[in-house]
Amino acid sequence: MENSNKYLSHIKPTWCPGCGNFGIFTSLKNAFKKLDLDPSELAVVTDVGCSGNTADFLKTYVFHALHGRALPPAAGIKLANHKLKVVAIIGDGGCYGEGLGHYINLMRGNHDITVLVHDNSLYSLTTGQTSPTTPKGIKTKSSPNGVIEEPLNPLALALANSASFCARTYALDIKDQTNTIIKAISHSGFSLIDILQPCITFNKTQTIKWYQERVYKLKNRFKNKEEAFKETLRTDKLGTGIFWQEKRPAYHQECQTLKNEALVAKNIKNINLGELIDKLV
Amino acid sequence: MKNSINIKIGGHAGEGIKVSGLILTRSLTRLGYSTFSYSEYPSLIRGGHNTYQIQVGLHKVQACLRKLDILIALNQETIKLHQDELKKTSLVIYDPGEFKLPLGELKGKYLAIPLLKITNKAGGKPIMANMASLASVLTLLGIELNTFKDIIRKEFSKKGEDLVKANIEVGEAGKNYVLKNYFQEKLVLEKPKTNLKRMVLTGNEAIALGALAGGLQFYSAYPMTPATSILHYLASIENQTNIVVKQTEDEISAINMALGASFAGVLSMTATSGGGLCLMAEGISMAGVAEIPLVIVNSMRPGPALGMPTWTSQGDLQFVLHIGHDEFPRIIFTPGDAKEAFELTKLSFELAEKYQLPVFILVDKYLSESDFSTQLFKKDHPAKRFSMADNLGPKDEFYKRYKLTENGVSKRSIPGQKGGIHCCNSYEHDENGLGTEEGEMRIKMMDKRMKKMKLLEKEIKGVSLFGPKKAKLSLISWGSNKGVILEALKELKNVNFLHLSCVWPFPKKEVEEFIKTSEKCYSIEGNATGQLTSLIKQETGLTLQSVLKYDGRPFWVEEIIKKFTN
Ligand SMILES: Cc1ncc(C[n+]2csc(CCOP(=O)(O)OP(=O)(O)O)c2C)c(N)n1
Ligand code: SF4
Repeated sequence: MENSNKYLSHIKPTWCPGCGNFGIFTSLKNAFKKLDLDPSELAVVTDVGCSGNTADFLKTYVFHALHGRALPPAAGIKLANHKLKVVAIIGDGGCYGEGLGHYINLMRGNHDITVLVHDNSLYSLTTGQTSPTTPKGIKTKSSPNGVIEEPLNPLALALANSASFCARTYALDIKDQTNTIIKAISHSGFSLIDILQPCITFNKTQTIKWYQERVYKLKNRFKNKEEAFKETLRTDKLGTGIFWQEKRPAYHQECQTLKNEALVAKNIKNINLGELIDKLV
Repeated sequence: MKNSINIKIGGHAGEGIKVSGLILTRSLTRLGYSTFSYSEYPSLIRGGHNTYQIQVGLHKVQACLRKLDILIALNQETIKLHQDELKKTSLVIYDPGEFKLPLGELKGKYLAIPLLKITNKAGGKPIMANMASLASVLTLLGIELNTFKDIIRKEFSKKGEDLVKANIEVGEAGKNYVLKNYFQEKLVLEKPKTNLKRMVLTGNEAIALGALAGGLQFYSAYPMTPATSILHYLASIENQTNIVVKQTEDEISAINMALGASFAGVLSMTATSGGGLCLMAEGISMAGVAEIPLVIVNSMRPGPALGMPTWTSQGDLQFVLHIGHDEFPRIIFTPGDAKEAFELTKLSFELAEKYQLPVFILVDKYLSESDFSTQLFKKDHPAKRFSMADNLGPKDEFYKRYKLTENGVSKRSIPGQKGGIHCCNSYEHDENGLGTEEGEMRIKMMDKRMKKMKLLEKEIKGVSLFGPKKAKLSLISWGSNKGVILEALKELKNVNFLHLSCVWPFPKKEVEEFIKTSEKCYSIEGNATGQLTSLIKQETGLTLQSVLKYDGRPFWVEEIIKKFTN
């Protein structure tokens, strides 16, 4: 306990009692502890939302980004100092709605960041409007006649867009979730976990019971992407575990100028523009 | 003999006009002349009318005149389009094998030079006909081709010795043709008396170099004319300078990635034009509240919305003064030429870090893409870091990164640094950076940030005065109009000019004094409502008349002269 406390600020989480965010938060700090990460070497980027409020409960370096924009600064931090571990915490609204372009593009780049999407199928901090993962037909404050759109499939998108680590966890399965988070943080490259997170206050359809009836653990790793893809299309049951993991150099490892040292260590004391200036004569 | 000449090349896009123009500019600059070159082109890859215009002089030139001495017409359209820029004495070079002269009365003298024919005869490819026309111009100016050949070598040596040779042969052929047929038309340009070494670079290249001199480490951007060439230039020297250049999926990502990089301790910059800046607005206000150092270049083009992508404008002044919601301190530099662009961008990096705020470099297409000849910049730049906390100790405790200090500046710690843990927060926050909605803390933090404005006023010299202290007529302007107005001042007597190279913090004292001691004072601006005039009114209560232009073109020297002579 002593040890996992070192990642915690003096502010106690303010989520509704019973909120799935508690399970994710516990798993996260357990993972930090098991990996024995140094809080000073850890940069957590949070989005804006109930999930993003995690910012205030942590005692690590934290960047509390704008809504939908957690991923670009996370990638920027990693490019600036690839010695750091970078974890982004974001809601389904921020990641799959407001910031969807960043999600798709940064995974293509295999930026070495871990993205934990607290997917509660709602915009919760703003009191429960429909989100990109709200199932069709669900009535929310902003869709009193039922949502017209089909829900977005984050894992299928990730598989199709070259994410090198894609997983799903269930917020309340702390043991499994901790393990998956450990694997994601240890993975070199873009790691995504779509976390099924009950919002007990606003989501009256996808309740804890609803999840319990559907969630099951994936047994073996899939042999190929096609099989994994098939699993992402299932809606009757929701498999948890790693859908896909592959070894690929991360963005910073392929970046010519980051081969030797971290950018933040670049010496700027003796800048010489001689050659560049001579070229302009 | 002439001591200043104005040359224009015109033709279709895709005919290598810009490359040829730059070769001529570099050749003349190397010979010791001062040059200024300006290009116009439509937002198309092929087709459309393109021009490149060079003002070359014995003494410092800083803008182009409208009236031409020499026009190289690569198509008939060029001759028709530029009639009102021609004088009786202007020479127009054209290839009679390519097109006939338009019917009707034409201004100027027409030199028929069979450029393509002599190029073929010299063994060159059709595109090399440009070299024949450039050599013809140099010969008309009474200039030997040695330096021109050096530049050809420099430009084409990467593409092989054969290509260099062929281009040189074509140049020789052009020279010989002129010597034989048009020797009497010579427009001899006086030889320069100095061998002052100058460089030729665009405003955008000057900004990029200034950024490097200031310690730039990370650059993220999304392409948008006229800021794009900063991205191109920095990407081309990324490996050589050991920086990271990242093209992002959009401008929102560009600024947020730069914010993350800056938070992690690297010196960062992004650049865009108006439309992209709109998308960056929220990121800019995050830099404001979270006190993140960031340099942002906005190169203006006419708007609103897509406007006129490849043309110039000064329509974003009030936008940049206010961009981002609520209030936070900022700096806005408005450099007037390449040298100022270099120096002020370098300074931006220092100030962004010292005061932990967004610093804008507000320029326009005219400055970004024109070629300036200027004395070589200093080569060595020992850049420094500012306002960084050190020796924080080994503890894993919160650090008061937003400590409420007397002057508002608190020292930053960066991830990886022991003892510096904090939250860099887009929400209002306490001294550790943790979110707060408490009224008293909000006021304290707001005051902390705004206090920094006071310190800035002492750091920045935002104006330069040209001409006598007291004059019959006073002009005040900002940004790229500087060169045009200084050229006009060569003709206008008893006129002085106050150039603003920084509009925020507003140089109140200097502007007030200038206006109050003037007999008649005008503000000169490239927008439709007189945005500087409004700013002056807001800050000093004084009302000026504005001379405005918003057709996408820069002011012409003659326009300014005419406006103030009667
Ligand atoms: C640019 C912008 N638009 C809207 C908001 C308001 N807003 C804050 S959080 C949020 C949605 C939160 O939903 P989600 O990302 O799923 O997180 P959750 O609260 O469900 O954890 C919205 C719309 C904002 N802060 N910024
Ligand atoms: S509103 Fe929902 S997501 Fe937010 S804290 Fe409450 S239960 Fe959790």
